Amino acid sequence: MNARSVRGAVAVAATLCALAGVAACNVQSDSDTAADPSGSASSAPQAKDLKVGWSTIYLTPSWMQQTLKMLQADVDKLKSSGKVSAFETFNANGDTSQQIAQIRAMIQQKYDVILVDAGSSTALNPALEQAVAAGITVVAFDSLPTSTKVIRVGTDQKAWGAMMATWLAKKLDGKGSVIAMNGPAGVAVSEDRWSGAEAVFKKYPDIKIVSNVHSEYNLAPAAQAFASAYSAHSDIDGVFSQGGALSAAALQTLVKQDKKLVPITGENYNGFLKLWQTKQKEGFSSIATAQPNYLSVIALEAAIAKREGASVPQDITVPLPEITDDNLAQYAKPDQPDDSYPIGDISQSEIDKLIGK
Amino acid sequence: MRERALAAARGNTDLLALAVLLLVLLIAYQHYDSSLLTPASITILSAQFLPLILAAAGQTTVMLTGGIDLSLGAVLALAMAVFATYDAQGAGGVITAAVLALLVAVGAGAVNGTLVAYAGLPPIVVTLAASFLWGGVTLVVLPQPGGTVPGGLVDAYNNGWNGVALPAVAVAVVLVGWKLLRTTRHGLALYAVGGNEHGAYASGLHTRGVKISGYALAGVFTGLAGIGLAVQTGSADPTIGAPYTLNSIAAAVLGGISFFGGVGRMRGTVLGALVIGLLTNLLLFTGISPFYQLVAQGVILVVALALKTYLTREAAV
Repeated sequence: MNARSVRGAVAVAATLCALAGVAACNVQSDSDTAADPSGSASSAPQAKDLKVGWSTIYLTPSWMQQTLKMLQADVDKLKSSGKVSAFETFNANGDTSQQIAQIRAMIQQKYDVILVDAGSSTALNPALEQAVAAGITVVAFDSLPTSTKVIRVGTDQKAWGAMMATWLAKKLDGKGSVIAMNGPAGVAVSEDRWSGAEAVFKKYPDIKIVSNVHSEYNLAPAAQAFASAYSAHSDIDGVFSQGGALSAAALQTLVKQDKKLVPITGENYNGFLKLWQTKQKEGFSSIATAQPNYLSVIALEAAIAKREGASVPQDITVPLPEITDDNLAQYAKPDQPDDSYPIGDISQSEIDKLIGK
Repeated sequence: MRERALAAARGNTDLLALAVLLLVLLIAYQHYDSSLLTPASITILSAQFLPLILAAAGQTTVMLTGGIDLSLGAVLALAMAVFATYDAQGAGGVITAAVLALLVAVGAGAVNGTLVAYAGLPPIVVTLAASFLWGGVTLVVLPQPGGTVPGGLVDAYNNGWNGVALPAVAVAVVLVGWKLLRTTRHGLALYAVGGNEHGAYASGLHTRGVKISGYALAGVFTGLAGIGLAVQTGSADPTIGAPYTLNSIAAAVLGGISFFGGVGRMRGTVLGALVIGLLTNLLLFTGISPFYQLVAQGVILVVALALKTYLTREAAV
C-alpha cells in the first residue's frame, strides 16, 4: 500500500514536471514570436520579413561551422534591411529521417524560405517538393537533392574529380601507379568525384590505380586507410585524393615515414595547405580546389531574389576555385587551425551574376 | 470488478507512465501545431514514424529472445535498396518488389539468427559483424542513392489514400498480428527462450530453432520498415539505415523491453517509438538551438527511463 502511494506520487510529480517543462517552452517560444511579427503574412512581391530556415545534415564539422558563420553574416545584413525577420538552423545530426521531419515541421510552421544541405540525394525529394507545392521557396546547396523542383546551388563534383585527375595524369606524364583516396562508399558526392576522375584516368591506359581506398572525410580514419594501402604499394608515383583531410592524411604519412613526396591532389583543408607550403621547397607539388562556404550565401541570395520575382536559374553551378603551387600563399593560413577551410568572400556582383539578377 | 481493474493497472504501470508522457507530448504538440488532430497531420506524422515503429518492432523481437541486433539499420537499408531497385511498375510490380525485399530481409535475419544460435557467439558481436556484411551487400545492390518507387504510391503513403492514413493502418495490422502470434506456441516459445534458455531447453523446446525464427521474424519487421522508408522517400539510399539501429533499441528499451530477454510487450515498444518520434518533432517547434535540442532530447529520455525503471521496480516489490 505504502509503496503504491509513493509510486503514485512520483507519477503525479513527473507529470507536473513535464507540464511545467512544456509551459517553460511556451514562454520562450512566445517571446521568440514576439520578435518576429508573423513574417508568414508576406505575400507581397518585395521581400519583407521573411522567415528563413536552414536544415543541415551535420552542423558540427568545421566546414559547416564556417558555412553557418558566413550565412549568419548575410542574414544579419538582410535583417537590417528588413528583408529577413527570423532565421533558424536545424541540425539533423546525420539522420536523414530526422531531416525529413525538420522540413515537414518548417512547412507546418509556414516558413517562407527553406535552405537545405541534404543528407541524401534522393530521400528528401518528396518532402522538399511538398514544401515547394506549399509555396515555400526551397534552395539546396552543397550536398544536393536530385529533385528538379528546387533551386540547387552547388559545384560540379564530377568536374572536381576530373580537375584533380587531369592534373595528376599530366604531372605523371601519363604513366605510373596511383592510390585513389575516396570518400565513404555509397555517398553521392564521393561517387560523383570519383566518376569524374575515372573518366579521365581511362584516357591514360598507363596509369594504374593500384588501390582504391574508401574512408570518412576525417584525418584519423583516412590516415589508417592510407597507411595500409601504402604499405602494400609503397612504390606508387602519385595519390589521387578527393578531399582535404584525405590528402593531409596521405601527405603526413609520407612525411612521417620519410618517403619520397609523390604528387597528391588536395582540397583547401588548411592542414593540407600548410603542410604543402612547408614541403614545397622539398619539391612537393599539388593542386587543390574547394567547396566554397559562400555557397550558403549564394543560396540565401537566390531565395530572396526569387521571392522578389527575379527569374533565378534552377541550377546554379558555382565555379571551382583552383589552388596551385603559384597561388598557394593566398590560401594557406599558417596562423589558423588545421581544421579550417580558408576561402575568400564572394563579391555581390559575382553573386548577382550567378543568380541571374 | 474493481480489484481486477486495479490489478490490470498495476501490471501496466510502466506502460501507463509512458502513455501519460505521450499524452503530455501530444498536448504540447497541439499547442504548437493546432492542426495536429486533423487527418492530414495524422497521415503525415504516421508516415514519418512508421519506419521507426517497425524497426523497433524488429528490435523488440530480437531482444525478447535475449539478443540484440546491431545490423538492423543495415538490413533495413538492404530491404529498401532491393525494393527501390526492382523498378516496380503497377500494383503487381510493387507486390513483387515488396515480397523480394521481405525475403531478403528475412534471409538476412535468419543468417544472423543461425550465427547466434550455432556459433555460440554473443549476439552483440555477431550482429556487429553482420552490420558490415549487410552494409556491403547493400552497396553492391545500390552503389549510390537512387531507385524508384511509383509516384502514386509515394503520394498515397505520404498524403493519405482516400482519406485513410495507410501507415497508421500498417501499425494496427502489425499490432494485431503480434497479438495473435503471441498466443501461439511459437510466440510463447520466443518469450520462454528469452526468459530462461536452459529452462526452455529442459522443457523440450528446440531453443536454437526458436532463436533463428525470432531473428527471421525480426527480419519481417525490419524489411517492412525498409519498404516503408522507401515509399516515404520515393527512393532508396544505401547509407540511410544506420541511425535506426540505436533509435530502435532506444524505443524498445523505453517501451519496457528487457535487455535480458523474455520481458516486454510490443505495444510498449510502439508507445516508446511514438514518444521518441514526437519528442524530436516537438523540439523542432520550440525554437531551441540545435545543440540544446540534442541535450534536451537526451535528458528527457534518461529521465523517462529512470522513472520507468523506478516505477517498475516498486511495482515488483
